[in-house]
Amino acid sequence: MTAKKKQDEEISFEDSLKQLENIVEELEKGELNLDEALKLYEEGMYFSDKCLEKLNETKQKVEKLTKEADTKYRTEPFAIQSNEEVVEE
Amino acid sequence: MQTNSPSFNEKIFTVTGITQHIQMLFSSDPILQNITILGEISNYIHHSSGHMYFVLKDEKAQIRCVMFKGSALGLDFKPKDGLGVRAKGEVRVYEKRGEYQLYVSQMFEAGKGALFAAFEALKEKLRAEGLFKTEIKKILPKIPRKIAVITSPTGAAIRDIISITLRRFPNIHIVVVPAQVQGDGAARQIAENIDFLNEALPELDFIIIGRGGGSIEELWAFNEEILARSIYASKIPIVSAVGHETDFTISDFVADLRAPTPSGAAEMAIPDKDSLVKNIKLLRGKLNRTVFHIFDLKEQRYFNMAENLKYRSPKNTILQHLQTIDDLNNRLRLHIKHIFNNYENRLKNFKDKLVSLNPKSVLDRGYSICLKIPEKAVVKNIEQVEKDNKIEIIIRDGSISANVSGKEGKKDDR
Repeated sequence: MTAKKKQDEEISFEDSLKQLENIVEELEKGELNLDEALKLYEEGMYFSDKCLEKLNETKQKVEKLTKEADTKYRTEPFAIQSNEEVVEE
Repeated sequence: MQTNSPSFNEKIFTVTGITQHIQMLFSSDPILQNITILGEISNYIHHSSGHMYFVLKDEKAQIRCVMFKGSALGLDFKPKDGLGVRAKGEVRVYEKRGEYQLYVSQMFEAGKGALFAAFEALKEKLRAEGLFKTEIKKILPKIPRKIAVITSPTGAAIRDIISITLRRFPNIHIVVVPAQVQGDGAARQIAENIDFLNEALPELDFIIIGRGGGSIEELWAFNEEILARSIYASKIPIVSAVGHETDFTISDFVADLRAPTPSGAAEMAIPDKDSLVKNIKLLRGKLNRTVFHIFDLKEQRYFNMAENLKYRSPKNTILQHLQTIDDLNNRLRLHIKHIFNNYENRLKNFKDKLVSLNPKSVLDRGYSICLKIPEKAVVKNIEQVEKDNKIEIIIRDGSISANVSGKEGKKDDR
């Protein structure tokens, strides 16, 4: 459990997906005893939850960045408009 | 007609006059009279008259050209935009427009032109320095959270990138960094923005730099060394998305991912969320099925074993043994009875014999037994008794007391 908790913060989507794929593959071999199968099943569900979670972590945001001094900048929402001020030369 | 001057010092020309003067200067110059120019064809028009009109270009300048039908017939290739050529001819003024132009008499393909030569030189230089090595290319994260796009904030490129990105992965954070993408300073601007983003937004998953399609001159910013250097130095992966169909730009070679168009960049770099979700659900389904399958297998095995166990139960053996015991019991009983009967018979025989040997039966037949008194010993020979001995004679139905009055032994018995 503690190991899982620890993984929570670090595991990437790729790793979760890889784990899930490995688990399914292992289960498909069908050579496991019940306890092992149940344990893997539980882990598989955990990793698939993790994957879905990762996919929904971010919120949609489209913004335009304007540089200021040094590494400072400001942003404002960016909407695609056909008749915006033409910046392109 | 030429010098209609009102004063000695001030010469006043008509337009035609000065144009003719310029024309004269051109035609008195030996270089312009017979010249070969290396450049790239642009704005090529093959007029229905058979004459060809185009512009020869290099990085910094251009010159109008015309090739009349007569000369054009001698061409051994088909001119087209972007093609590098060596055009031989004479530079003259086209008086009607006040423009100088090259009257091409002969034209040859010249590799791929000067721009191409510059491009090749830079490419080789950067390649030699290792900027294009595949092993240094950074891998784009599978699930980007925050990306930046350095391009013109107007036009199709940014519109395509944003709409395709959001279509493929709706919940993503896009930072648009406006930059000039063609003309002087464009390369520097893009490069500076890359540097800036590395400083200010290092958390970016990757940066798309790009623009829509255009002529090689319009795309030239993406062939400049300053931009190549920034791409190479960037810690954030760079996706190069310059709209061109066939040729690569230097940016393409240095970038971590090269896309043929801005929309292609979004297609390649942004995962399709729907199919990711679908895949995960598919794996979940498999997970369920395989576990149930394992359960089924185990259950089946259990039933088989239980059946097997029942079959191999010691009960059967015990029953068999019990039967054997019963069997033996029966046989024992029979046997004993047999022995018993045997004895019984023998006993009866003995009894019969005994009965027949009973002395009483002798008495029945009329014999008597003589006993000497008082010892009641059976008198079997003559020496046992003397005269005046008391004797008892037993007969079938009683006894007689008597005294011995005399005795006589049998002579032949002796």
